Amino acid sequence: MTNPAPPPWEGVPYSVKRHGVSITNCHAEPVQTPGCIQSWGALLVLRQADLAILQASDNCAQWLGQQPAELLGRSVAELLGSAAVKRVREVMERDAVERNPIYALTLPARPGSGPEGAAVQLDLSVHTIDGVIVLELEPAAAATGPDAYVKLRRAAGRLCTASTLQGFCDAAAQEVRQATGFDRVMIYRFHPDGHGEVFAECRRDDLGSWLGLRYPAEDIPRPARQIFQKLWVRPLPDVSGPLHELLPLTNPDTGRPLDMTYCALRGASVMYTEYLQNMGVAAALTMPIRTESELWGFIACHHYRALPSVPWTMRAECELLAQMVSLQLKAVQDREHLLYRLRIETIHQQLVAQAAQEGGLAAMTDGRPGILDGLNARGAALYHRERWWRVGKTPPEPKLEALATWLEGRPEFASPTHPVYATDSLCRDWPEGMAIAEEASGVLAFPLSRGRRSLMVWFRPETAQEVRWAGNPHEMPTVVGPHGPRLTPRTSFELFVESVRGRAEPWLPVEVESAQRLRLLIMELVVSRAEQLAALNADLSRSNDELDAFAYVASHDLKEPLRGIHKYAHQLLTNAGALDDESRRRVEALTRLTLRMDSLLDSLLHFARVGRVQFEYEEVVLGDVLSEAIEMVGGRVVEHRCEFVVPRPLPKVRCDRVRIREVLVNLLSNSIKYNEQSVRRVEIGYLAPHEPVPRPALPQEAHGEMVFFVRDNGIGIDPRHFDQVWKIFKRLHGREAYGGGTGVGLSIVKKLIDRHGGQVWLDSMIGRGTTVFFTLPPPRQPQGARHA
Amino acid sequence: MLEARQRPLLVVEDSDEDFDTVREASQAAGLTNQIYRAPTGEVCLSLLRAGTFRPSVVLLDLNTPGLDGRDTLNEIKRDPALRALPVIVVTTSANPRDVESCYRAGANAYHVKPVRYADHLQVLISLFRYWLGCVVLPGSEKLMDEEAL
Repeated sequence: MTNPAPPPWEGVPYSVKRHGVSITNCHAEPVQTPGCIQSWGALLVLRQADLAILQASDNCAQWLGQQPAELLGRSVAELLGSAAVKRVREVMERDAVERNPIYALTLPARPGSGPEGAAVQLDLSVHTIDGVIVLELEPAAAATGPDAYVKLRRAAGRLCTASTLQGFCDAAAQEVRQATGFDRVMIYRFHPDGHGEVFAECRRDDLGSWLGLRYPAEDIPRPARQIFQKLWVRPLPDVSGPLHELLPLTNPDTGRPLDMTYCALRGASVMYTEYLQNMGVAAALTMPIRTESELWGFIACHHYRALPSVPWTMRAECELLAQMVSLQLKAVQDREHLLYRLRIETIHQQLVAQAAQEGGLAAMTDGRPGILDGLNARGAALYHRERWWRVGKTPPEPKLEALATWLEGRPEFASPTHPVYATDSLCRDWPEGMAIAEEASGVLAFPLSRGRRSLMVWFRPETAQEVRWAGNPHEMPTVVGPHGPRLTPRTSFELFVESVRGRAEPWLPVEVESAQRLRLLIMELVVSRAEQLAALNADLSRSNDELDAFAYVASHDLKEPLRGIHKYAHQLLTNAGALDDESRRRVEALTRLTLRMDSLLDSLLHFARVGRVQFEYEEVVLGDVLSEAIEMVGGRVVEHRCEFVVPRPLPKVRCDRVRIREVLVNLLSNSIKYNEQSVRRVEIGYLAPHEPVPRPALPQEAHGEMVFFVRDNGIGIDPRHFDQVWKIFKRLHGREAYGGGTGVGLSIVKKLIDRHGGQVWLDSMIGRGTTVFFTLPPPRQPQGARHA
Repeated sequence: MLEARQRPLLVVEDSDEDFDTVREASQAAGLTNQIYRAPTGEVCLSLLRAGTFRPSVVLLDLNTPGLDGRDTLNEIKRDPALRALPVIVVTTSANPRDVESCYRAGANAYHVKPVRYADHLQVLISLFRYWLGCVVLPGSEKLMDEEAL
């Protein structure tokens, strides 16, 4: 590393006029000792002891009629008269003038006290610094009437009532423009990373808006920022006006340059004036906005015509305004944060209520209000129930997957109390994040579950991106001065874009806190929902039990009267002589109906028993069970030509052998029954979990399970009946068609598979056959004890 | 004393139709036994415990009002004085749990009543022929003689 070259003013007294600065050394510019003043007044430095003139600006002749050389070493009384000096002394005794310029008096007009020999009155201000007295003389202000105070009161009133930061800054810009008459007044705000933004503006109607303009932090070098910690107003009425050196450049008593921090006439940095000139600005006036000693921003005033001066009266008014704005700003900002927090909380509560009502977290992303109505973000994504729910500008799903995986490894996510991750620059923590920086530089995320993937994420785009989306206001006409295009808003913007590459607006503490609270709300909801579900399940299994018991007892009790009815019908028929043919036919029907009812009751009894009976789990070779089942449907096999195909040996499963045999018997007999082919073909097989074969209509719960199937070449089922076939006593065909039946077979299949914890579903096409699929997950409790 | 198989039948049955069917079956089977009916379990037990009445067999329906057939069966089989009495369960229930529990309680046979009248009749006829034709019942003269020796 080589040391940078020393600035050209090293070792000699600095003069901004003589040495200037360049883009590379402006960070070291001694802005408080420029050695020069602006041309709209004159400056004298007096020794405190005898009021002898130590230094004078080299434009003294123009304002005071005497050359500096004639003045140096003489008492100021000789120049201004004893009355003026007496007045100055009074002010110095009465007011706190140390580092604080105070207007003392107005000197009467005399020939030569003004530009081009005109006679003007001069206002004289005085302050002390480093043991010297500084007198500044400038063209006298027009007399101010009492309306100045009325105006200030009104301004104060407006500033106090603004409820939002934006409204407050708008009002401030308007009031300052009214007070100064400048063409454009901007409220310029620093972001946490130091870059600046034109946040509010009040301008002449015919000017284009600069609202939203951004500048990199370097545009306001550190020395300039520091000086604004000390003073409240910085006038520059003639940006291109000449600079006037002090003679001599240093105090002859001390050899030190004059600290001009508090001088209204202090000469400006050429960087600053050139930048203003490049934008066509002829006059400028700047006030700091400070909150608790921190530089929050500026009130920047621009005028496109040079002004003869910025009189002390206007400066005083601006100073008051700037102080008022500074004092109020904190309150407004606090109020706005509070309102913002309330808004977020309200929205979040509505979202959770919505989710509770609609029974899913997804309601937060697609409902009204939506998640983006709360926290200020451009996009949000929720991963829940094995899928993403996205809203607004978010990365695509594969990127979200990668992000989620990375987030799950973050230490923040493992925090037991506050598992929230927030960043304004994802790619700083995660280089891969660069690929999604455009929409997701800012990330605020929290997990919703520890066990499995479930998380909520908000996204903020790269700041520059957001500014671009808002439209680029930087295409304003500019000229380029001697220091090149660096000193133009466009270059500033480009530098700004570079400076915020991969960065978003940071998350406010209130936002992170709100996210944490939303997480708690969701967790509460999830917990209460789980409780509800558990209670519901308990209710359901209780009512299922009761239903089974009811069906059992009821069908039982129904049999007795049924037997009686049947018997009477039978007896009527045996006493045949008493009946005519019609009556006989009816009694025969009655007999038939009682028998049908009997078989329905048997089915119901059986179905109820299937729900109540205790299972005996054992490891069985499914192939053996299938062989038994085929044997049991044997009767039908003889009636028709049947072909049972088992493409590969069936695996072992843990199940209740008898029940699964019943499942197979039911499925096989359906396959043969509802079949009109000359050869009734039934295929029994399985799909291993990772075999790449289609699994039509696979239910969510069956993912990753081994799937068994029974496929036939039968008559098929219309898809609209797919849900119906499982219902008890549901028959799709006439009572006597396909060998009759009570319509309970598939209900029993479903109940048995349900009780094994498995899934059963079907796929079918009319005329092409039906495939019934089922799963048999390993039982959780080896003894599936459900009933004693 | 009547020979054991000549003693009356006790039928615990609340359904008139089913009781009629029992009577019809007994006629069809050619039985001459008297048939007593107890419409409830309580009546059945009080008859048996009166000490004066001893049936050849008890036909027991499980689904009776009041004390039901299961409890009646338990009472009989737990009572040392009644335990030897053959109790034949004739019921609507084909529930394997009922079958199991009745035999455990000491039932001597278990029959399911079909709804179809002809079948029902047939079940009962077979039952009568077996229990009152083939089987040697407790309390038969001959056996009592041997016991006395």
